[in-house]
Amino acid sequence: MKRVVSWVDQRFPLTSFVKNSLTEYPTPRNLSYWWNFGSLAGVVLVIQIITGIFLAMHYKPDASMAFDSVEHIMREVNYGWLIRYMHTTGATAFFAIIFIHMARTLYYGSYRAPRELMWWTGQLLLLLLMATAFMGYLLPWGQMSYWGAQVITNLFGAVPFLGSELVIWLRGDFVVGDATLTRFFALHYLVPFIIVGAVAIHLVALHSVRSSNPSGISLSDKNNIPFHPYFTVKDLYGLCIFLIVYSYFVFFNPNLFIEADNYIPANPMQTPPHIVPEWYFLPFYAILRSIPDLLGGVIAMGISVMIFAAMPFLDRSKIPGGARYRPFYRGMFYFFVLNVIVLGYVGAKPPEGFLVPLGQVATFFYFATFIILPFGSKIEEKWLRKRGLPAEVEALISCEEFQKSERRQRQADRRKARR
Amino acid sequence: MKKIFGLFLLCVSFSWAGISFASGDTHPLADVDIPQDEASIKRGLMVYYDSCRMCHSMKYIQYRGLADIGLSDTEISNLRGDKPLSDRFSSTTTDETANDLFGMVPPDLSLMAKARKQGPRYIYTLLTSYYEKSEGVYENKHFPGIKMPDVFAYSVALNAEEKSVIENKVKDITSFLLWASDPRAKERKSLGVYVIGYLVILSAMFYFLMKRVWARLDDEDESAVGCRSTDSV
Repeated sequence: MKRVVSWVDQRFPLTSFVKNSLTEYPTPRNLSYWWNFGSLAGVVLVIQIITGIFLAMHYKPDASMAFDSVEHIMREVNYGWLIRYMHTTGATAFFAIIFIHMARTLYYGSYRAPRELMWWTGQLLLLLLMATAFMGYLLPWGQMSYWGAQVITNLFGAVPFLGSELVIWLRGDFVVGDATLTRFFALHYLVPFIIVGAVAIHLVALHSVRSSNPSGISLSDKNNIPFHPYFTVKDLYGLCIFLIVYSYFVFFNPNLFIEADNYIPANPMQTPPHIVPEWYFLPFYAILRSIPDLLGGVIAMGISVMIFAAMPFLDRSKIPGGARYRPFYRGMFYFFVLNVIVLGYVGAKPPEGFLVPLGQVATFFYFATFIILPFGSKIEEKWLRKRGLPAEVEALISCEEFQKSERRQRQADRRKARR
Repeated sequence: MKKIFGLFLLCVSFSWAGISFASGDTHPLADVDIPQDEASIKRGLMVYYDSCRMCHSMKYIQYRGLADIGLSDTEISNLRGDKPLSDRFSSTTTDETANDLFGMVPPDLSLMAKARKQGPRYIYTLLTSYYEKSEGVYENKHFPGIKMPDVFAYSVALNAEEKSVIENKVKDITSFLLWASDPRAKERKSLGVYVIGYLVILSAMFYFLMKRVWARLDDEDESAVGCRSTDSV
């Protein structure tokens, strides 16, 4: 065994890789369970890819066969129902995990320097995930699949000058049809592997800047512990808890997240009375509908997804410790979460009565949060400092200062030694 | 513990959200429990065979699949006659005739219990919402303008006793359609119990393993994240 490992090591950095990224990878010891969601997202990605490959072995991306082939999987393929329900529930789980992962980053300010690139690769991953989910939703070729794709591809028609050409180019036809289904299948199979590549970049960045932690400062060496075994076992425990929740939905309530209309085969001649996207798109869909102008709505929806990328610039406060020591930011965080839930509710309902103004007010608050943030965070910091920071925060700040000076000292020493 | 409780809450709120999204109809659905025992599914199959099959196909149900609801080989052969076991339920009326009669082809019933919100309750309500509008003219409270005739003669039932006989029949057909929409449901649920049981044991083991592994560390200085500079503060 030893000889094999040393044979490999001469040709490939196996031992050093395991050391650097597992057995000696320093991880802050104070991470809470909120830090479990990154690895959970990785596991769900693997579940989706594996179940997806098995589904593709039986699925037929042809408008006249797609719906039947899904029912064939559900009824006649051995454990086909399990694979398919794992895949549909997995999509929901993926978004739930990613939203929690993002909320954690926002709450603890993990997007701050030096982790901006983590946040931006994460933003890219979110976009890729949304694209994959949207294309995957067309594949069962049910009524909601069909009309959802029809509505969303129509949005590209709002692009000035090129609009209608662009829509036809995307669909490969004048309406969503066989050509659209086949290309969405091809892309739905491709993009997950691009996601894997983007995850690799996300992880390389992570291993260079290391995990953030609830204190908001980088901890001293003493308080960093090896990833393995401490966090491998913690992640496994978290994974099991997640799998219990996931299994509940897979085995006992798998149709909760599938619209009833999607068990009716796609019918281009009959529009369902109420077209709704999947739950994870609802808040953005509500923003789209709240703007009376189509092009304006499309732009607002695009910005509402992409605006997270600006967080490192928008949050100008330097107070460590996440939202815990920042009452104004904390209030905004919870208000924002609540507002997104309101938007989701509005997006799920037909735009009637009080829901229209409610959606518009919630859309206004959504963007207002990001507009207020740069000023609010600065004012908050000044106010906090004037009032006197709590002893814990003072300790964190002085601790950070101390470590910075220590690091500088070490570098200077090294330079001296070299000379 | 708090975290597990939080996850549980999350779970419940998701279920609740799904339910509240699902209910949007203004006409109330009958609040009935649809039995899922083999006997009523079998009775429902016979109701389908006698009353529904004339117009409605069930193209995802094969004759050989009926063994799952406890039909014996002879019972299946009696139903299928000389059709092969892999044959699917087709209606006895051709599409052209149906088009002539109703102006449309009656929908396939294989997925009906899933293709409507709260499917089983929808089917039950629909079939028991027929009433006599005027002499010999029926109408449906739940689906005004429905083209399907009142096959169970619910609208002309004379008394409560007759109505309850029909209601039981409707429960049976609903129970059969519920089975047909998801024939693997029973297998799924029984497997689920084992999977979740296994995961609960596994998480308990990982929990104690985690406690043991983490016990190797010195006590954490939580207040100051163990920074040396805090000694001087």
